Amino acid sequence: MTTQTLPSLVPTNGRIRSIVRAPEFSLAIIAMVGFVALAIASNGNLLTRGTLDAFFRFLAVPVVIGLSQMVVLGIGQMNLSVGVLTGYCAMVAAWMMVDLGVPAVVAVLGALVLGLVVGVVNGLLVVFTRINGFIVTLATMTIIEGLRYGVHGPDTYQGYSPSLRAFGRASILGLPVVFLLALAVAGIVAFFFARTVTGRKLLATGGSPFAARLSGISNDRSIVIAHAISGLLAGVAAVITVAASGSVNSSIGDDLLLPSFAAPIIGGVALTGGVVSVLGTCLAAFLVRLVDVMQAQFDINRRSIDLIVGAVVLGAVLIGTLRQKLLRRST
Amino acid sequence: VTERATLDVTDRPSAPEPPAPKKPSKIPWWANPRVGLSVLLVGLVVLFSSLRPSFLDTQLTLVPLQADISVYLVVGLAQLMVLSLGHMNMAVGRMAAMSAFAMGLAYDRLGLPLPVDLAIGMLVGLGLGALAGLIISRTGVNSFVVTLALDFALVGLITILYTTFTNGVAFPTRPEGMTALRFDTFADYCAGDICGPEIPLVVPFAIVAVLAVGLLFRYARLGREILMTGSNEKAAELSGIPTRTRVLQAHALSGLLAALAGFLLAANNGAFSANIGEEFLLPSFLGPVLGGTLLAGGAVSVLGTVLGATLTQVIYKGLNLLQFQLDQLKLYIGLVLLAALSLDRVRHVLAERRGARA
Repeated sequence: MTTQTLPSLVPTNGRIRSIVRAPEFSLAIIAMVGFVALAIASNGNLLTRGTLDAFFRFLAVPVVIGLSQMVVLGIGQMNLSVGVLTGYCAMVAAWMMVDLGVPAVVAVLGALVLGLVVGVVNGLLVVFTRINGFIVTLATMTIIEGLRYGVHGPDTYQGYSPSLRAFGRASILGLPVVFLLALAVAGIVAFFFARTVTGRKLLATGGSPFAARLSGISNDRSIVIAHAISGLLAGVAAVITVAASGSVNSSIGDDLLLPSFAAPIIGGVALTGGVVSVLGTCLAAFLVRLVDVMQAQFDINRRSIDLIVGAVVLGAVLIGTLRQKLLRRST
Repeated sequence: VTERATLDVTDRPSAPEPPAPKKPSKIPWWANPRVGLSVLLVGLVVLFSSLRPSFLDTQLTLVPLQADISVYLVVGLAQLMVLSLGHMNMAVGRMAAMSAFAMGLAYDRLGLPLPVDLAIGMLVGLGLGALAGLIISRTGVNSFVVTLALDFALVGLITILYTTFTNGVAFPTRPEGMTALRFDTFADYCAGDICGPEIPLVVPFAIVAVLAVGLLFRYARLGREILMTGSNEKAAELSGIPTRTRVLQAHALSGLLAALAGFLLAANNGAFSANIGEEFLLPSFLGPVLGGTLLAGGAVSVLGTVLGATLTQVIYKGLNLLQFQLDQLKLYIGLVLLAALSLDRVRHVLAERRGARA
């Protein structure tokens, strides 16, 4: 069902061969087989209303956070601060609603703007210091971790805006609204990279900064824009987190950093830049979520999930490399 | 990729051990990151000790500080081993944890003495590093991805192993000598009236590691070839260097050093526990990067890593003594990192301008 919402990722020439050859194709097959297998193995429990609802509700944040990382990977950099930034934005939004008593709309806007601003700062730091983006975001990650804790110490915010909570719980046609929101965001990001000049410029910068410069593209601008979008998407993830979970504390976002890389990497996004795959990232997030649900269904040790996800990431990357080699040989 | 290449070239003169540059470096002494670090270090020590005289208290501060520096110095060296290739080791903490588990298990189940436990643990670290190196060199997949996936896998495995073999948190037993490593300094060992200095017993481990890594990169053929592989893999390959083997070896050595760091932390904490290595990732990059080692590969600074690790621990200790909360601590560490790196950049640009005028 994710395929239909992301039209730009289906090859435009529409030839079946190129669809079958796309890395997303095997991922989609795996995701579908996995879903059906899990549905059968759980005696259809997965397909009951409550389970299915929870499945998609908690898929929203991984999708958005994976996209947030993907945008920066697209220009060949990394953003280590996505996870803690999500937590920081969520805490600030909750703080605005609970302690300042502002309406939910303002708090949501505040979280988005905060994410955007931190993203821009990340980008500007990378541009002006000429330090590797990995190191800059490592430093800002540490700083934001401190800020996130500083919002409310170790305490928890809860009981904020009922309307926002209702938004987090709402469903349309059996699908949670937050999940649809994540899909909409994915659609926008896909459109951005496929159809807008700025998006194409980002990919050009990621593919070859030198060639991009020679074609008159400002690499510095691309870097700032990519980090800004990444920050904004972290803000979106924060809003979803605040809406979908009834309480937030300063540990929000700690467990998001590794999944943020896992989704794009399994989805076939190259770390060297120049390539993005929105559909792949969404499918990979779906796969990781399947593993998560499997753990809940069969009561497997919580931590063995990490083991499985690690193996899946590595396996997916190895298969991808192998596939490319085989394809190159056959052509 | 080009950005990387140009970065590599322009920043090379600031690194201490470049493969013998043909023309003399035009970078003046004050643009050397290690000079800046030393000045900063002295300044901070003066600042902290004037604010809190107890900063110079031997038992309260200096002895624990030395023990902490030892651990994080070795962690930094573990990261430095792969930074020399332009690679990363995101699993550095988990490799340390797995090795510490092996050490704990070796004593708990087999009752082996401490040196044998240490050797077994370091072999496990070596093996894990070699595994990462093998996957990276055979498949050509980015080291970040491979070690990140390995980290994921090990996080799960370690928790499972600790819950299977222990109460889930730590081994209840510890080999003979661990307590001495934890609490004793050389001042506790006297020959007649002459006692040693107030240096914890874990410090020599770190010194040996520093010397070994320093000598490796400066004089050993293996180290030089690793640096050449990191500088330009294709050129290295064409010069007859077995680059795949060098990649594997560098990662294996990184795992070995991570294991040593895990052991030192276990010695400092007094137990082989599941949480060893959880805090390793950030410091592992802080030390080398503050010391002027680039992520691009081909150049390393061992002395810079020593200074970087020392600076980080001095800041932690100082802020701790000033009773900063954990969050403020993190805030300031991040800010110091950014400031130090930016200053380094400013110094570098100024030096380049001067070099161009001359």
